Amino acid sequence: MNGERQVLVEKEAAPVATPKLGWEEISAELAGFFASIKLAMFLFIVLAMTATIGTVIQQGERPDVYIKEYGEEAYRWFLRLGFTDVYHTWWFTSLLALLCINSLTCFYKRFPAIWRSMMQDKVNVALPFITSMKHNAEIRVAGTKERVAEGMVHMLAEKGYRVLVKNDPQEVTLYATKGIMGRVGAHMAHLSATVIVLGGLIGSYWGFQEFGVCLEGQTYHIPKGNFDLRIDKFWIDYHDNGAVKSYNSTLTVIDHDRPMTTKTITVNDPLVYKGIWFYQSSYGDAWDRVEVARINIKEKETDRVLKTVDLEWQKEVTVDHLGLKLALTDFVADFSFNSSEKKVYSKSVEHANPAVRLAIQERKTLRATPWIFYHYPDLFDIQGSRYRFELVGYQPMKFTGLQINKDPGVNIVWVGSTMIVVGITLSSFIYHRRLWAKVIPHDAGATVHLGGNSHKSQIDFQKEFRKLTERIKTINT
Amino acid sequence: MLRSLFLFDMTFWLYLAALGLYVGYVLARRPGLQFALAGLPTAGPEGESGWATQIGQVATIVTIFGWVVNTLALLTRAYERLQLSGTFAPWSNQFEAMAYVSWAIILGYVLLEFRYRIKAIGAFVVGIGFIAMGAASLLPYRYQTAEPLVPALNSYWIYIHVSVTLTSYAAFAMAGGLGIMYLLKERAEQRGNRSGVLAAFPDLETIDELGYKAIMVGFPLLAFGIILGAMWANYAWGGYWSWDPKETWSLIVWLIYGAYVHARMNRGWEGRRAAIYAIFGFLMVIFCFWGVNFLLSGLHAYA
Ligand code: HEM
Repeated sequence: MNGERQVLVEKEAAPVATPKLGWEEISAELAGFFASIKLAMFLFIVLAMTATIGTVIQQGERPDVYIKEYGEEAYRWFLRLGFTDVYHTWWFTSLLALLCINSLTCFYKRFPAIWRSMMQDKVNVALPFITSMKHNAEIRVAGTKERVAEGMVHMLAEKGYRVLVKNDPQEVTLYATKGIMGRVGAHMAHLSATVIVLGGLIGSYWGFQEFGVCLEGQTYHIPKGNFDLRIDKFWIDYHDNGAVKSYNSTLTVIDHDRPMTTKTITVNDPLVYKGIWFYQSSYGDAWDRVEVARINIKEKETDRVLKTVDLEWQKEVTVDHLGLKLALTDFVADFSFNSSEKKVYSKSVEHANPAVRLAIQERKTLRATPWIFYHYPDLFDIQGSRYRFELVGYQPMKFTGLQINKDPGVNIVWVGSTMIVVGITLSSFIYHRRLWAKVIPHDAGATVHLGGNSHKSQIDFQKEFRKLTERIKTINT
Repeated sequence: MLRSLFLFDMTFWLYLAALGLYVGYVLARRPGLQFALAGLPTAGPEGESGWATQIGQVATIVTIFGWVVNTLALLTRAYERLQLSGTFAPWSNQFEAMAYVSWAIILGYVLLEFRYRIKAIGAFVVGIGFIAMGAASLLPYRYQTAEPLVPALNSYWIYIHVSVTLTSYAAFAMAGGLGIMYLLKERAEQRGNRSGVLAAFPDLETIDELGYKAIMVGFPLLAFGIILGAMWANYAWGGYWSWDPKETWSLIVWLIYGAYVHARMNRGWEGRRAAIYAIFGFLMVIFCFWGVNFLLSGLHAYA
């Protein structure tokens, strides 16, 4: 009886016509619907089709980008259907939720049978059940039914089968099974979908993602982690041919005024502290300081360049033979002047109108702190000075762009991922097969009726079945 | 000039030769041709002419030799990369990836031939391996060199993520080839043509089953590949999933095969339908592999 039930398990539960409509019937109907493979296939295909939308239409752009490319009417439709952010629309999320419900219901309805079959300790089938199987054979062998059965048990156990035997006066019945882990694997995969989605949800509710622009030497407070981060250094490594090899930032975490850890992060190697991840994400030119600036010192009278000096940031340089002391004190990338506060500032982060401010001391008597413009060399004149200063170039200081993330769901996602990979692999490479046999004695020995089926891999199973049949023939010789 | 390019070229020609030999093998096994080719009717147990066996053996040898050269080419490329930039993954650009895919397809085919002793499949599967190698050779020279990796790709993850994903593509390619073979054979049978060229092919049920197996190899590998990609993204970009076109497309491909895997549980989803579906799936793989890189933009569009 047990054996037959297992075979039925493989078939889809046919929807039964319901004369009366109670809660039982409705829930059975619903469970049937949600556990159906048809729904699963439908969801797989619809998800695949709708997922393409976001790869063709750019996601999360500004309205004018869409209007320029597709027109206003189309853009209105995009908004209505959520095509500008497909993967977060209610309907896409619902499809994912349905897939979870679908696979959970499938697990709920089918796994218990597999579990029972793993725990099964009896065998009971009728002869017609065996002779009507897809793979079946009738083998005559010598020996008593017990001897034959014993030989078969040994042979099957050697092949990795789990064997159950029932000895009746007129026959011996055997049941052998192998590869149930393949089906357990499939159900592990079914559970995994929900685990992954859960991990994703947790991440989106309790996680965050921020971006920080950080300068060398500065310390920044990370409020969400309640600790500080110091940027020790940022630099770029190059290959011999000039291509970029890596972007690197050395960071130090300072927690309650104590340096806790220092790490050089690169694009593929973030720093993790208290669940917060710091990624090397971008870099750029700072707008308020430079590494070094190159200044031409010209004689006003002759307009000849007397000397070119490279000034490092806020370091004084002496040019003895001209009687000059120079220092580079300020920089703005896009010069602007706030007249009410009387302050110079950078209007943008672009290097649109760069200017440096020099502190000049000439022959111990003259002091000046002029702004010198890269694009307008002759704008200001220093009264009483013999020289004119020109900014001919500079090397901006780089800032490092850090992405700062926290995702408390990520480990759950990895658990689900492991389940899905292990589950699918098990179900792909291990297939479930079952054999039933009856050994019926007669005067000149015994007849073995062997029947078997396999969940899949029919060719392999056919071969195996044929080999088993051959082995049984020679069992007592 | 990179030494590996010479070996890649050689691989191309060897695969072409192997393909020719397999086609020759199929032709020679055609019963009607036995006389013309062999002169003597030395039919083997399956109606195989004397020539077919030899051609078949040579085909296998040439294929294996080609595969060895392909291996050497990839190793040489790995060495060149090591010299140039300190990373070695010989699947770091489109060209190398194609060469790796053909390597994996041919390896899969050779294993299949040894396990199931069916040579005629070579006419299709080696064909696909050859096309992959050929498509790689057609790429402009600047795509074929071993430029150092951009920083975002310079990571240990590239070794495992890319090779696993590409191997799954190879398995799907194999399933696609078997699908084409299935349809051709079926059409020949429907026309009552049981003795033509296609008689040399294994029976429909076997082709169908092998195609299914190939997909069952590709399906977990692709899942693993996608997840490795997600782990990498989590390290490199600060988020395991960002719906970038490439990762979305690999998910789409995976979903397509997911539907196939479940469809196989129902009767009626074997044979013809499965074959057509496997071909469709393979076309989607090609799009994911080539189309996305060239047509859609995104984080993966480095090449
Ligand atoms: C969410 C992603 C899913 C994954 C990754 C997945 C994966 C798998 C795999 C790998 C198998 C084994 C296939 C084989 O043995 O050839 C399988 C079997 C199966 N799947 Fe899914 N599946 C998913 C969703 C679903 C859903 C939504 C259903 C809903 C009905 C479903 C129903 C089934 C059934 C009935 C089986 C056969 C189980 C058995 O052998 O007892 N699957 N699935």
